[in-house]
Amino acid sequence: MRALLDFIAKYHHWMLFVVLEVVSLVLLFQFNHYQHSLWLTATTETVSKAHEAEASVLRYLTLGRENAALTRRNLILEYNLAEATRQIEILSHDSTGTERLQADRMEGIELIPVKVVTNSVMRRDNLITISAGAADGVRQEMGVVCGTGLVGIVFLTSEHFSIVLPLLNSRSHISCRLRGSDYFGHLVWDGINPLYAQLDDIPRHARFNIGDIVETSGFSSVFPPGIFVGKVEAIGNSDDGLSYKLRVHLATDFTALQDVSVIAQQFQPEVRELEHQADSMLAH
Amino acid sequence: MLVIFLKRTLWLVALVAAQMMVFNYIHLFGYATPLPYVYLLLLFPLDSSRWSVLLWGFVCGLLCDFASLTPGLGAASMTLTAFIQPLLLRAMAPKDALEDMQASYHTLGGWGYVRYAAILTLLFTLTYFLLLSFSFFHAIDLAISFASSWLLTLVLCLAMEKVRGREVKSEK
Repeated sequence: MRALLDFIAKYHHWMLFVVLEVVSLVLLFQFNHYQHSLWLTATTETVSKAHEAEASVLRYLTLGRENAALTRRNLILEYNLAEATRQIEILSHDSTGTERLQADRMEGIELIPVKVVTNSVMRRDNLITISAGAADGVRQEMGVVCGTGLVGIVFLTSEHFSIVLPLLNSRSHISCRLRGSDYFGHLVWDGINPLYAQLDDIPRHARFNIGDIVETSGFSSVFPPGIFVGKVEAIGNSDDGLSYKLRVHLATDFTALQDVSVIAQQFQPEVRELEHQADSMLAH
Repeated sequence: MLVIFLKRTLWLVALVAAQMMVFNYIHLFGYATPLPYVYLLLLFPLDSSRWSVLLWGFVCGLLCDFASLTPGLGAASMTLTAFIQPLLLRAMAPKDALEDMQASYHTLGGWGYVRYAAILTLLFTLTYFLLLSFSFFHAIDLAISFASSWLLTLVLCLAMEKVRGREVKSEK
């Protein structure tokens, strides 16, 4: 204690110097617009870089788990492909059917692979930052998927980064359907468990079972139809009792999201423009 | 002690008022802005406590900042200069100098005082302009502004010391 007091007594002018400089610099950065904006720019850049570095390390550490998920997904796809090929062969005896079907589905769709920089699942309105922006061809309202399923929609873009509105956000409403049927509804998150979401507005006359697959409906220019979302876990009624509310076990593990892809559809801007025109005409 | 405090307060008020009413409006050729309030720090004698130099420098810089609407800019520069002033004066003072020696043309010699004032004003002006621009984007403009402002500040400080020296002599 005495040594500490001696130290303070000996170097008190150093401490005073540091305190006065800190006060001066706080005033400088707080009340001068130019210095304030420079400070903000520098800190934002630094924090983004730090997050990116942290994400790189975490990505490296979780490569094994990521690889296992991809392998599992690949197995499912291989199985589906084999099954579809077999069905087409049975129906048409045409061996090139599957290739033609796949080519038709993927026409005009480009996947931009990106890394997740920051992610959260604990809030009511979660957001994800990805390491690609306008310079990489990412635009607002583009769909985002990962190896296991649906992630969200691009909400904001800067030059090199973008913010994604994931399924785990109260403002997310994505049109989905039950695979093998035409019944569709809106997928929303109740803000409680990041593993589950709810599929609302499924009509009362729809027939389905627990374990049925939920996929994107394709009723928008954001996602093509047929992207895996999850499986029906439980069946309930909507608040007004006029439709079903399904509890969906999400295929995407948002707590370990590392690599995602942005879906760039060739005709998306054209479709969106047409939708805007239609909206404005109806408004008049 | 009280007399010294009052004298310093008088210098502080005079320098801040001069900066606020006169020197803030001078932008010679669009580049040179004199900042002679740093002269306050040149007045501190060899035996001044370091914390008092720091506090006087900080307060002086802060008052000028509020007058110029640039909070923190002068305060940060003056605090750094005030931290260096006692070290510099100790290094430049003659070996047989008295403990209460105050820097002047008489005590340090003409050339010695010019060097002392030049180094302190250089440090102050350099810090001030680096914090003001915060980048080397317009490096040439920055260098011209800094160099011309430093020279103008130095000339004004040397002139003030000349006048003060004469008055001290006549008082004796």
